[in-house]
Amino acid sequence: MTIVEVTGVRKVYPLGKVEVEAVKGVSFCIEKGDFISIAGPSGSGKTTILNMIGCVDRPTAGTVSIAGRPTKDLSDKELTTLRHETLGFIFQSFNLIPVLSVRENIEFPLLLGNERVPKKDKEKWIDYLIEEVGLGQWSTHKPNELSGGQRQRVAIARALVTRPQIVLADEPTANLDSKTGEQIIELMKKINREMETTFIFSTHDAKIVGIADHVIRLQDGLVIENLRRGADASAICADDAAAAEEAR
Amino acid sequence: MPVLVRIAFRNLLEHKAKSLIIGILLALGVVILIVGNSFMDTAAKGVKDTFIGNYTGDVFIHATAKYPVSLFGVQAAGGQESTPNLPYYDKVVEKLKSIRGVKSTAGQVTGFGLVSPRDSDKQGFSLLFGIEPDKYYELFDNATVVEGRMLRSGDEGILISKKQAERYAKEFEKDVKAGDEVLLTGMGKGGFKIRAVPIVGIIQYKSETEATDFISYVDVTTLRIIMGMTLGNDEDTPITEEQKSLLAMSDEDDLFGAEEIVAPSAAKNAPVAANVAAAAAGTVAKKASVADSGAWHFELARLENPNDAPRVVAELNQWFASEGINASAGDWKAAAGPFAQSIDVVRIVFNIAIIIVAVVAVIIMMNTLVISVIERTGEIGTMRALGAQKGFVRKMFLVETLTIASVFGLIGMLLAFAIIGVLNAIGIQASNPFLEILFAGKTLKAAVNPLSVINSLVLVGIVAVLAHLYPVSLALKIQPVRAMQTE
Repeated sequence: MTIVEVTGVRKVYPLGKVEVEAVKGVSFCIEKGDFISIAGPSGSGKTTILNMIGCVDRPTAGTVSIAGRPTKDLSDKELTTLRHETLGFIFQSFNLIPVLSVRENIEFPLLLGNERVPKKDKEKWIDYLIEEVGLGQWSTHKPNELSGGQRQRVAIARALVTRPQIVLADEPTANLDSKTGEQIIELMKKINREMETTFIFSTHDAKIVGIADHVIRLQDGLVIENLRRGADASAICADDAAAAEEAR
Repeated sequence: MPVLVRIAFRNLLEHKAKSLIIGILLALGVVILIVGNSFMDTAAKGVKDTFIGNYTGDVFIHATAKYPVSLFGVQAAGGQESTPNLPYYDKVVEKLKSIRGVKSTAGQVTGFGLVSPRDSDKQGFSLLFGIEPDKYYELFDNATVVEGRMLRSGDEGILISKKQAERYAKEFEKDVKAGDEVLLTGMGKGGFKIRAVPIVGIIQYKSETEATDFISYVDVTTLRIIMGMTLGNDEDTPITEEQKSLLAMSDEDDLFGAEEIVAPSAAKNAPVAANVAAAAAGTVAKKASVADSGAWHFELARLENPNDAPRVVAELNQWFASEGINASAGDWKAAAGPFAQSIDVVRIVFNIAIIIVAVVAVIIMMNTLVISVIERTGEIGTMRALGAQKGFVRKMFLVETLTIASVFGLIGMLLAFAIIGVLNAIGIQASNPFLEILFAGKTLKAAVNPLSVINSLVLVGIVAVLAHLYPVSLALKIQPVRAMQTE
């Protein structure tokens, strides 16, 4: 089942008097439950693609559909609701709210929606996530009392707390040492298997790319490789293959 | 505790320097408002109580004039204007007494005079209140006798204040005592008039201020004479247009018809007319020294309940209008005239100062909050990316602003109470007559008005909310994509 569909997406940024085309017509599909890496060197357009899938930025041309819903004509309010209900975010710099504790940071997205979750269920779910990311001892600590790896674990738990269909991670290991980075990716993979949450992460670390079961490689704003490993290799959209071939 | 309040409190502690800048401004604002308003309210109440209890009563009736009329005369721009007599005095008093809640009433004549000793040409100024002692003392028990006695009905004499006696002693270069005879010079329409009267007593006002120390009480008959309010004098009693047109008619023929029944002989009539004119002139000359016992400038009234003053004033003014009487009723403020206005002027100056301070505070707070928004761009972007609607961001800043306003507002309030307590304990002395009026006495005793405290806190809250509007508009422009940008 396709959960993200990117069709002919272009993104142009004004840079002073000139325009910079960060993404030059990209198309691909992402299936539900994928653990997908968007790889490529700096400036290849990874973060721009991730921003558009994450509904925090709009494409200049083309369409992005999330869970079958095109985002092009949605209002700011509708996009915010879509983000809250469907997407989870893991940021390169963790982006935890400094004045809230580990537990409060994880709980925070639940306070933004209109959905009423019974307090007991909520507490149980947060406890589960805290244990799952291995921070049982740290739940009352503030972000500045944690290591980089611990902060990213908090961010992972926070991204999962609303039970999103998709978790987006922008270079989640960039600010971590290699060992901690591997642990974080392993944790994401484990959650991906257990909860069947689709993980889309951008990286330029070849080692981490190797763990993904679907890799979209970008260069200069174009898809140069769209590779699905294992049994579902045929699930790549026809457009994806054609676009990748053309880029080569 | 709701998450927004939690975030607000923790942000206050997290950004101590900014919180302190905003907080100190807010606390200072509350201190200025509470302390200032307490002094204003105390002064206003002091002046009101002083004037109602000692000089003006609750209701003040006077003849209408071109300029505002107070107990101290007509406040004409650029000079003295004589105070018109209250028309239809007996009818007005009868009406006043018939109104529910009127306890007692008394008439008053006000004039300015010069006091001099018999054997010297040295003079001292005095503000003269002409009264009928029995009736007046029913309204006001405003002085105690230091020497001699109070005025009694039927007396001819003057009561002066102790301070006035001391001033006169300096000016006259001799002691001024009860029993001394002084010359009282006044000026009315008939020119200067001088009258010799004894100083019946020297008094001390219960509410002693340098401004009121100038007031001397004279029996109304003496004051009427030196003010020219005599039978032979056509004092300017206000009359209606209809009355004026009747008086404008040249002779009785205009009133009773122009037909001549008997033709007058011009030759015979001329000497008779001259004789009548001469006789009339003689009568007027005699009457010029006889006071017009019905002539009063004002009528003052005390009420059972002073809060009824607006009702009584309204009823009287309605009656004056319906009867066509050129008179007007007012409350103590109208009677106190410039003294009551001085409080209003001080309050206006204070309010203008507060508005300037508030504008400066809003600008400083706004700048500080803008810096805070810029510093928290990533945090706000993250919240938006995680699903926070713009309304959430707006609420977050509002709660933070109101939290800081409440915390420092309360600190300011406690500080203000402490300052008022200390100032009251020290007892600030009035150094000049103006301050004595404002302080309603020699020493300032400020009292805190709970309503004024609430108003001050609300005002500071409004200032804080106004200051946060622009920064919050900047915060709302922060796009969620900012969360993805590495700092």
